[in-house]
Amino acid sequence: MPHSIPIVVATAIMLAIAPACAQSPMPGGMPPPAGMSLAESTAMRFPQPVRAGDLAHRLILQPVESQIILGRVRSVVRNAQGDVSVVMNFGGFYGYGGRLIAVPIDAMVLLGDEMEVVAYTPKQLAAFATFTPDATTPVADDTILKVGLAKPSH
Amino acid sequence: MKKERSPKDRRLHPLAIRVMHWINAAAMMVMITSGWGIYNDDVIINGLHFPGYLRLGEWAAWSVNWHFAGMWFFGINGLIYLTYGVATGRLRERLLPIRPRDVVKTVVETLHFKIAHEDLTVYNAVQKLLYILVILASINQALTGLALWKPVQFSSLVSLFGGFQSVRVFHFAGMVVIVGFVIVHVLLAVLVPKTIWAMLAGGPRLEKRRSPQGASK
Amino acid sequence: MTKSPFRPDDAPDASVLDMHRTLIRTLERRGLLRAGLTLGSLVMLTGCDVKRPEAVEEALLAISNLNDRVQALLFDANKLAPTYPASMILRPPKFNAYYDVTDVKPVNGATWKLELGGLIQNKRPWTLQDLQALPQRSIVIKHICVEGWSYIGGWTGVPLRTFLERTGADLRAKYVAFQTADNYPSSIDMAAALHPQTVLALQYGGQPLADPFGFPVRLRTAVKLGYKNPKWITAIEVTNTYPGGFWESKGFPWFAGM
Repeated sequence: MPHSIPIVVATAIMLAIAPACAQSPMPGGMPPPAGMSLAESTAMRFPQPVRAGDLAHRLILQPVESQIILGRVRSVVRNAQGDVSVVMNFGGFYGYGGRLIAVPIDAMVLLGDEMEVVAYTPKQLAAFATFTPDATTPVADDTILKVGLAKPSH
Repeated sequence: MKKERSPKDRRLHPLAIRVMHWINAAAMMVMITSGWGIYNDDVIINGLHFPGYLRLGEWAAWSVNWHFAGMWFFGINGLIYLTYGVATGRLRERLLPIRPRDVVKTVVETLHFKIAHEDLTVYNAVQKLLYILVILASINQALTGLALWKPVQFSSLVSLFGGFQSVRVFHFAGMVVIVGFVIVHVLLAVLVPKTIWAMLAGGPRLEKRRSPQGASK
Repeated sequence: MTKSPFRPDDAPDASVLDMHRTLIRTLERRGLLRAGLTLGSLVMLTGCDVKRPEAVEEALLAISNLNDRVQALLFDANKLAPTYPASMILRPPKFNAYYDVTDVKPVNGATWKLELGGLIQNKRPWTLQDLQALPQRSIVIKHICVEGWSYIGGWTGVPLRTFLERTGADLRAKYVAFQTADNYPSSIDMAAALHPQTVLALQYGGQPLADPFGFPVRLRTAVKLGYKNPKWITAIEVTNTYPGGFWESKGFPWFAGM
């Protein structure tokens, strides 16, 4: 079938370009060294004051060169022990959809106007329980939190 | 046997056009693949990343240097092409007019794989549209490229496109259009190889200057 | 340290490239011709692993030098970069360096001194208090990185022009060069140094600079890309000899004007 030639060529081109959409194996914002607590690892990252309300809706990225979106900040909460977590939607597409999980803020870093989860892989985040507001209190927008930094992941 | 050439004897693709076409082809490849190398350091579509074998320049600095070298070839060649095309009437003659029903007809024919290129001297309506599109995309690349290169000196150009990050998106979108064009263009050229030969050797002689209206059958 | 295309693992010895750079300036014509050839021939190889043969590298650097001159011509000393309301300042700013944040080595502001060198009349070192006593200027400008990202930052500090005038610097010299505590040499042209939106920044968003952003003093200029803004400055030199810079010695363009 001579008419199939364009389809074959087009498919070949698509296959050649497809790896461009694949994720780079390049390591990004380094995970905390083994045995180090999240708080200790944040202390190494020059934690900076940031207004809790300013974190709302920020994109949360995976620390890889292709800057894969894990979700968005939905709210910031504090548990009975006083630990602050970022509630994010996880497992959706491009920051939309998915379910809510609460990630300790010390597992995350600021990257300009975005955030990254450095202490957990997406696989580990997938094992997080779905967030329920019980036993947490929302952190007021004007609260100043201290969050660690990272350089861009490449 | 050498045919005597009258002054009015014209080729489908005059030498100037052929030279400019191939300079542009090389410059485009340099701009696109070095652009991918620059893109990677701060992606525009999260998750989309260009692998090393598609990038020109071993790392960002050399991609930047390739890009800022290629821009002169792309920009100056493009300016000469547009000036030539307008001055000689070639652009108008080849690319206008475009009638909607011709577009529909060509699309239907193409869907039936009737890619007839018996007469290389006449562009079908879809071809005309694609050529106009790629010329506009190239102008977009030059303007957005200038804005990205000199966002302070040309700050009004940046505002025109809606801010620096938005200029980046326009620059990326222009690349997507051009890459899409190149894929179709190369595919069709390979399917009708005499078009490639024409762009190398000049193609058939044009007996007389056709009126712009006569471009579509 | 993470592997990065911004930090090549086979980084050439900086001194060698700097040497090449001066050599290249005399070889520009030849370099351009070579570039013309390689542009065409290398296109055929883009699908393959394009190495950096010496000739290609030199040609690209020669064009880059030419671009530096074109950029200097395009530069309008009176053209101001867009400014923004203080409400748009990103707090804290975005961190970036050639190493990750965990490797930042804070500078002690109490013992810190700014050394001066080159074509400057009064080379007395400056303390942080000395700088704070000079007239200050606040600017809210966009920081644009060569990588493509940008953010709006609010900086307060001594206009570099004021500082250079006070110290009796030769304002007709070509370059202003910087040394930093993190070994990130950098330099800009005098025209950019004298631009009203070029400051020796001491504060961000009304607060003293935080450690990761260059405390006690960093350069912030609205007319250059991010990598021309050295942090943790320890020395300033005014000179007519091309001083280069950290990324410039690895291939990035020197002028990097916006």
